[in-house]
Amino acid sequence: MDAISVRGLWKRFDDTVAVADVSFTVGEREFFTLLGPSGCGKSTTLRCVAGLEEPTEGEIAIRGRLVSSPAAGVFVPPERRSIGMVFQSYAVWPHMTVWANVAYPLRLARVGRAELARRVELVLAMVGLDGLERRYPGQLSGGQQQRVALARALVRQPDVLLLDEPLSNLDARLREQMRAELRALQRRTGIPILYVTHDQAEAMALSGRIAVMTGGRIVQVGRPLEVYARPRDRFVATFVGVMNIWPAHVVSREAQHAVVETLGRRIRIPDGSGALGPVMLAARPEQLRLDRDGGIPCTIEARSFLGNLVDYTVRVGEQALRVQTPPDVLFEEGERAGVEIRQAHLFPTEEVP
Amino acid sequence: MSTRGQAIPARAPRARPHADPRLVAAAPVALVLAATVAYPLARLLAQSLAPGGHWSLDAYARALSPVNLRPLWNTIWVSATSSALAVVAGSAAALLVVRTDLPGRRWLRTLIVLPYATPPFFGAIGWAQLLGPQGYLLRPVLSALGIAAAPQTIYSPGGVVLVLAIYSVPLVFLTVAGALEQIDASLEDAARASGAGPLAVMRQITLPLVAPAMLASGVLAFMAAATNFGVPALLGARVRFFVLTTSIYRSLNIPDFPLATALSMLLVAVSAAALLLLRRISRGPGRWAVISGRPVPARPLRLRGLRWPAATCATAFAVAVAVLPLAALALTSCLKYYGAPLAAGSLTVRHYAYIAGLDEVRRAMRNSAILATLAAGICAALGTAIAYAHLKARVPASAVLDALGTLPYAIPHTVIAIAVLLAWAPAGLYGTLWIILLAYVVAYLPTALRTVSATLEQVHGSLEDAARTSGAGPLRAFRDITLPLARAGVLAGGLLVFLPTSRELTMSILLFGLRTETIGVAVFNLQDGGDTENAAALAIVALAALLVANLAVRRATRGQVGL
Repeated sequence: MDAISVRGLWKRFDDTVAVADVSFTVGEREFFTLLGPSGCGKSTTLRCVAGLEEPTEGEIAIRGRLVSSPAAGVFVPPERRSIGMVFQSYAVWPHMTVWANVAYPLRLARVGRAELARRVELVLAMVGLDGLERRYPGQLSGGQQQRVALARALVRQPDVLLLDEPLSNLDARLREQMRAELRALQRRTGIPILYVTHDQAEAMALSGRIAVMTGGRIVQVGRPLEVYARPRDRFVATFVGVMNIWPAHVVSREAQHAVVETLGRRIRIPDGSGALGPVMLAARPEQLRLDRDGGIPCTIEARSFLGNLVDYTVRVGEQALRVQTPPDVLFEEGERAGVEIRQAHLFPTEEVP
Repeated sequence: MSTRGQAIPARAPRARPHADPRLVAAAPVALVLAATVAYPLARLLAQSLAPGGHWSLDAYARALSPVNLRPLWNTIWVSATSSALAVVAGSAAALLVVRTDLPGRRWLRTLIVLPYATPPFFGAIGWAQLLGPQGYLLRPVLSALGIAAAPQTIYSPGGVVLVLAIYSVPLVFLTVAGALEQIDASLEDAARASGAGPLAVMRQITLPLVAPAMLASGVLAFMAAATNFGVPALLGARVRFFVLTTSIYRSLNIPDFPLATALSMLLVAVSAAALLLLRRISRGPGRWAVISGRPVPARPLRLRGLRWPAATCATAFAVAVAVLPLAALALTSCLKYYGAPLAAGSLTVRHYAYIAGLDEVRRAMRNSAILATLAAGICAALGTAIAYAHLKARVPASAVLDALGTLPYAIPHTVIAIAVLLAWAPAGLYGTLWIILLAYVVAYLPTALRTVSATLEQVHGSLEDAARTSGAGPLRAFRDITLPLARAGVLAGGLLVFLPTSRELTMSILLFGLRTETIGVAVFNLQDGGDTENAAALAIVALAALLVANLAVRRATRGQVGL
C-alpha cells in the first residue's frame, strides 16, 4: 500500500492557481522530495497532504485512507490524520519546555503517563536531546530546536513524516550534519517521508525519488541520477545543477544517433527522437573538457577554484560555456584552448521559451 | 508497520462538509459587534438624516448655521494652537533628550511622559488651582505687583489652549523620540563626511527625517484636543467659551436632541478630516522608508557651554508640566480651605474623611471599578476573538469584523455617547450602568483590538499549524498555543482599557443618571460646584488607586504589562 497517494490535486487561492493537477505516490519506506523554486506550489502541496490547506480538487489518501476529496465531501482535519510535520521555522512552542513540546502530541492522544515518559525519552535520545528536557526553546541553538521539532513530529509514531524545508534555516555545516542524520533516521525507522526543498543538492543527497515542480505542476519524477542525467526539459536541466544550453542543427540521422552541426563542428549525439533541423544542445559542465591540443577553439574568459574542481567560463565565438575540470591541469584566463564535447543531449527548440 | 497504526485512534472520515468550530465561534462575535458598534452608529446617522422620522437635511443645515459655527471654529483654533504648541515643546524636548549630551536625560524622559498617566481634566483642576484668580502661582505675582485682580486667568480660551497643549506634549515627545531613535546614524555621518557641521546636519538631515513623525503626532494631538471635554468644560464654560464637545453637553442638558446630533456630525467631520490627514502623512511616498529598522545609535550632539542652561530650562519645563499640577492638587486636598495661608496650621485631612463618608463618592468608586473591570474584560475578550478570527483562523469576511472593531477609533467619544444614547435609551437602558458600559466598550474596543492584534501578528502561524499536526483540534490549538503566547498582549489590551475607563469623564458625563455616577463625574461635579478641596482629594485618591492597579498588574506579569 502506498504511504501517500495524491491524485489530480488542484489548489486555487482566489484567482491564483498554486497547485495544478499534481499526482504522485510515496511508497513504503520511501524518501520522496518535492523540489522547486519558491512559489512553485511544493509547500502548498505538502500543506494539502497535512490538511492545513483544503484542496480545491483531487484526492489525497494516507496509507489507503481517503483524507481529502472535495468531490466526495471528505476532509479530515490535520489533527485526525496520522502525520508528523516539521516546519521551516521549526515552530517549537516557546512557552513550553523541550519535554512539554515533545510530550504534547502524546498528551492529546491520551497516552498513559508511564508510556508517555518512556516514548518521550526514547525519541529525545534518538535525536540526541537527552539531558535538555527542562530547557526552554529560547535557551537552545537553531540545530537543537530543529531536533525538538523532529522529535515532536516522530513521537506519536505517525504513518508519514512531512518535512517543509526543515534545513534551510541552519548554517551550512549543521545542514550537512542534519542531512546525514535525517537519512540515517529514515533508514533506521523506515518511516515514509515527504520532503519539500528548493535546494537541489539537498534533494539529491537525501531522496529516493524527486518530483521537480514549477508553476504549480510536477514536470519530472525520478531518481536523483535520472533527473540529473536525463532532465525532461530545459527548466529541470537548469534548476537541477548547471547546464550549458546552446543552439545546434541536426543535419542527418543514423540509427540511434543524430549528426549535429554546432559551434562550427559536426558531432554525433546519441538520440532516438528522430528530429531534424534546429535543436538545442545541452551539456553539464563536467561533460565538457578543455584541451591544449584539439577540440573546438575557445578562449578562457574566467576561472574560479571550487576546491575539488576548477570552474571555467570559456567563449566559442558568441557562445559562453561553463566547463568544470579536476585541478590537475590548469588553464590561464585569456589563454586559447580547445573545448571537447564528451556528452550532450538534444532538446527540441520549441521547449525553449 | 501495524504498531504505528495503533498509536493514533483512527476515526472514519465523515462524509459531510466539515464545519470548522472557529467559524461557529465567529458568528456570535459578529452579532455582538453589530449590536454594540454598528447599530448605535447607524442610529446616529439615521437620526441626522431623518430627524423627525422622514428624510431631511435640516440637521446639517442647522449644524452649519452661524450660531453653531462658533463652537466649530473654537474647536478648530483651540486644537490647532494647542497641538502646534505641543509639537514645538515636545519635539524640542525629544531632541534634547534623545540627541544631546544633556545631563539628567533619563530623568527628564520620565518626567515629560508622566502627564500621559494623568487624565487631562485632573490636570485642568490642578492648573486652575495654580493659575486661577486665587492661584498658588498667580497670587504672589499679583500681590507683588499690587494688582487686585488678574486681567487674564486660566479660566479663558488661552487657559484651555495651555492645558490641552501640556497634555499633548507626552504624545508628541514619545512619537518624535521614537522616530529619532530609529534614524540610522550613517545618514548623519554621511552628511558630516560631506562637510556639514553638526547644526547643519540637524537642520538639513535629522529634522527632515523626523518631520513626518512631528506632523503625525501634531495631528494626533489635534484630535485629542478637539475631542476633549473635561478641559474646556472646566476652564472655558465659566467664561462662556464653548467648543463642540461642551456645546453637545449643553444641548443635551436643555435637552435639544436634534441639536446634539447635528453638532455631533460636525465633531465627526473634524475628527475624520484629521484622520484623513494622518493617513496621507503616514502613506506619503517613501517618506518613512529611509528610517531603517536597524538603528545604529547616533553620536549625541555636544551642547558644550549650553549644557547647563539647557538642562535648567528643560527641567523647569518638565517639573512645571508634570509635578506642579499634581502638587497643587495634593496641597489643596490638604488645606483647610483653598486660599488659606500656607502654614502648618492650615493643613488637614478633613477633606479625605469627608469624601470617604460621602455616599455618592463611594457609589462612584464602586461604579467606576465595576465599569472599568467589565469594559476591560469585554474589550479584551472581544478584541482577542476578532483579532484571532482575522489574523489566524482566516474566517471569511473577517476583515469586516476587524474594520468594525477599529471604526470607533475615528469617532469622538462624545459622539459615541450620543449614538449609544440614541440606540439604547429607548430600550430603557437610560440612567443604568449598562448604557455607560456599552459606550465604554464601543469607545475602547479599538484600543484592545489593536493591542491584541499586534501581539497575535508576532505569533507565527506555523506554531498553531504544528499543534494541529500534533493532533490538536482548532480550539484546542488556540487554547494551548496561541492564547498563552498572546497572553501579555491580551492583558495589556485589558489594562489599556481599564486605566482610561476607570476615570472616564467625556462619555460618563453624558450618560450618568441617578446613582450611576462615576469617579470622573464625581470629581467633575465637585469641582464644577466650587468644592475644589474635595475634588482635589478625590482626584488624588483616584490617581493613587490607578497607580496601585498599574503596579499590581506589572508585578503580576513580571513587568511585561503596565506603564
